[in-house]
Amino acid sequence: MSAPAIVRVRDVHKYFTRGSERIDVLQDLNLEVMEGEFLGLMGPSGSGKTTLLNLIAGLDQPSEGEVWIGDRLVSRMSEGELAQWRTRNIGFIFQFYHLLPVLTAYENVELPLLLLPLTAAERKRQVLTALDLVGLSARLSHRPGQLSGGQQQRVGIARAVVTDPTLIVADEPTGDLDARSAEEILALLDELQRSLKKTILLVTHDPRAAGHAHRVLHLEKGQLVETARAADETRIKLG
Amino acid sequence: MPSLLEDLQNNPLAQATLVLSALPLLALLAWAIWQPKLFLLALKNLRRNSLRTALTCLATLVLVLMATLILTVVVTLDRFTTEKARDFKLVVTERWQLPSQMPLTHAHYLDPSSPSFMLDRSEIGPNDFMTWSFYGGTLDPGKMTRENIVFFFVMNPKHIIPMMDDMQDLDPALIAKLEKNRQGCLLGRERLEAINKRVGERIKVTSMNYKGIDLELEIVGELPRGRYNTTGIMNESYFNQELERYARTKGKHPLDSKRLNLVWLRVRDRATFEKVAQQIETASVFADRPVKCETASSGIATWLEPFQSLLWGMKWVLVPAILASMALVVANAIAISVRERRAEMAVMKVLGYRPRQILCLVLGESLLVGGGSGFLAAFLAWFTINAVGGLPFPMLWFQYFMIPTQALFWGLAMGFVTAFLGSALPAWTARSVKVSEVFAKVA
Ligand SMILES: Nc1ncnc2c1ncn2[C@@H]1O[C@H](COP(=O)(O)OP(=O)(O)OP(=O)(O)O)[C@@H](O)[C@H]1O
Ligand SMILES: [Mg+2]
Repeated sequence: MSAPAIVRVRDVHKYFTRGSERIDVLQDLNLEVMEGEFLGLMGPSGSGKTTLLNLIAGLDQPSEGEVWIGDRLVSRMSEGELAQWRTRNIGFIFQFYHLLPVLTAYENVELPLLLLPLTAAERKRQVLTALDLVGLSARLSHRPGQLSGGQQQRVGIARAVVTDPTLIVADEPTGDLDARSAEEILALLDELQRSLKKTILLVTHDPRAAGHAHRVLHLEKGQLVETARAADETRIKLG
Repeated sequence: MPSLLEDLQNNPLAQATLVLSALPLLALLAWAIWQPKLFLLALKNLRRNSLRTALTCLATLVLVLMATLILTVVVTLDRFTTEKARDFKLVVTERWQLPSQMPLTHAHYLDPSSPSFMLDRSEIGPNDFMTWSFYGGTLDPGKMTRENIVFFFVMNPKHIIPMMDDMQDLDPALIAKLEKNRQGCLLGRERLEAINKRVGERIKVTSMNYKGIDLELEIVGELPRGRYNTTGIMNESYFNQELERYARTKGKHPLDSKRLNLVWLRVRDRATFEKVAQQIETASVFADRPVKCETASSGIATWLEPFQSLLWGMKWVLVPAILASMALVVANAIAISVRERRAEMAVMKVLGYRPRQILCLVLGESLLVGGGSGFLAAFLAWFTINAVGGLPFPMLWFQYFMIPTQALFWGLAMGFVTAFLGSALPAWTARSVKVSEVFAKVA
């Protein structure tokens, strides 16, 4: 493949200690994600999917091994550096949307932009573009409580893409939605990948959601296994 | 009551609370200018659970109100006692006799403006001296009722304002009138009413203690209300002139060489008092008519003693206890709201917000609540209590306590400081929220 890997996880080991007990979640894990790829990540509950996403997004440090995003060694960056880096490079989409309830849709999307050196006009343009992309231009001043689950998740997606990050990380974004809303959200992710060339990492329990991915990996016993069927699909989609 | 400016120059409490209110205010202002959207977010967060915010405000309000009232009493009494302590007066009286009756010549040795002054001029200045003679009489010798009696301090009008207690607000024009009109006199409100006379009218007094020295006086003014309500003051030169005239026509009056009752001197401190008293009591010029010296303020000081520990307790036990309860109220409210919003703070961290920005958000919310309600409480106390004429709380000489303007700073400072103390720990918790723990399923 000619496209360079944007995510490189090298021999990562991650364990948590709880009291005297040590829980090994990820063991000798290796992963490469190509730029512009839509990667699905599946696995039983508690298998460490969220843990892996956290490592990639720089929200946690591996116990051993390295995490590279582009040319940055994320697993060695300080918390301050990481915060700054995350704003520009990572868009995070949560299962439970996690919008700030006191802010409107517009203000929620604007939140990450406040950290960047932008003029008010630039900020406004970016927020409106992002909300337009998710089809919520008519809901700018609604609070999360006044929006449906699907709409809230679309605000969540707008917030994730508003800083124009290279990597979008979604942790079960459809887990809390009905089938139709879920389909809309997945279509949006497809759209982000296709027309905006975003790299997407999607964690899901839902095989249909995984079907949108180019490639699906299974996390089992701390390691990743590529399934044959998903690999076929990968070939079809990328080919 | 001293003005705000005087307090800011002299009163450590005013200075400290000014700093403690100005610093957080400036910090909040800087924050609002630097990150207006986060400032707005803090305000919006306060509105989220408006009941809890309102209750926290109310608790702060009540507690600041209490602390303000207590501090008002403490500060007022404190100022009063230090003023009394600074105003250290020495009273010279006749040694072996009561009432004290000294010859007028005694005063010459103690008067800084007289050539025969025997003390150190660097210790006793021209405004540190006063003499009193007592003159009492009736307006109607045929009917000596209590209503007819008037009583005067006979003295040099120049000494009234600098030497007498609570005379600093007396109109200097009255002194000028008294000096110009040797037969002038000042009378207290109640006395004027009792004898049914007004300022401008004349009275004829038949003496009770100086038999044969009857005086005609003109009432040129009223004494300040309060402790002088029943007394009068008259010019010594008229009194002395009448005694000389008596001597020329009828021979020396029996009280001629006993007309000086008290001599007052102001000294800097107790050490000066001891020294001056020693000089006076052993002076050879007073040998044939010996005198003794006492302090006028020691009486007040001993009287205040039991109150000192009460004041101390109010200042160092009651007020801190109130502040501690405030900090606990704030700590409780902020801790709850931080716990409720752990996920939100984690999300902000995911978006790239720094720990210190999250710390500021929590601290800012708390400072807004604390400073806001603290100021409101102090303002309400200051405005309403002063509008109704002070806090009715009779203690010592005081009937009412006015809330000083510096109380506005007390309110702000108390609100800010307790909010800061109360929210420091919750804010630190919020700052250290670990994203991976909030979002991972910690089974
Ligand atoms: N901060 C932590 N401290 C201790 N244990 C943790 C922590 N984070 C995760 N774990 C443990 O690591 C394991 C993996 O958790 P993780 O949340 O990554 O699973 P998951 O695959 O995302 O599960 P799910 O599909 O239910 O979301 C679990 O056993 C969890 O209890
Ligand atoms: Mg998970």
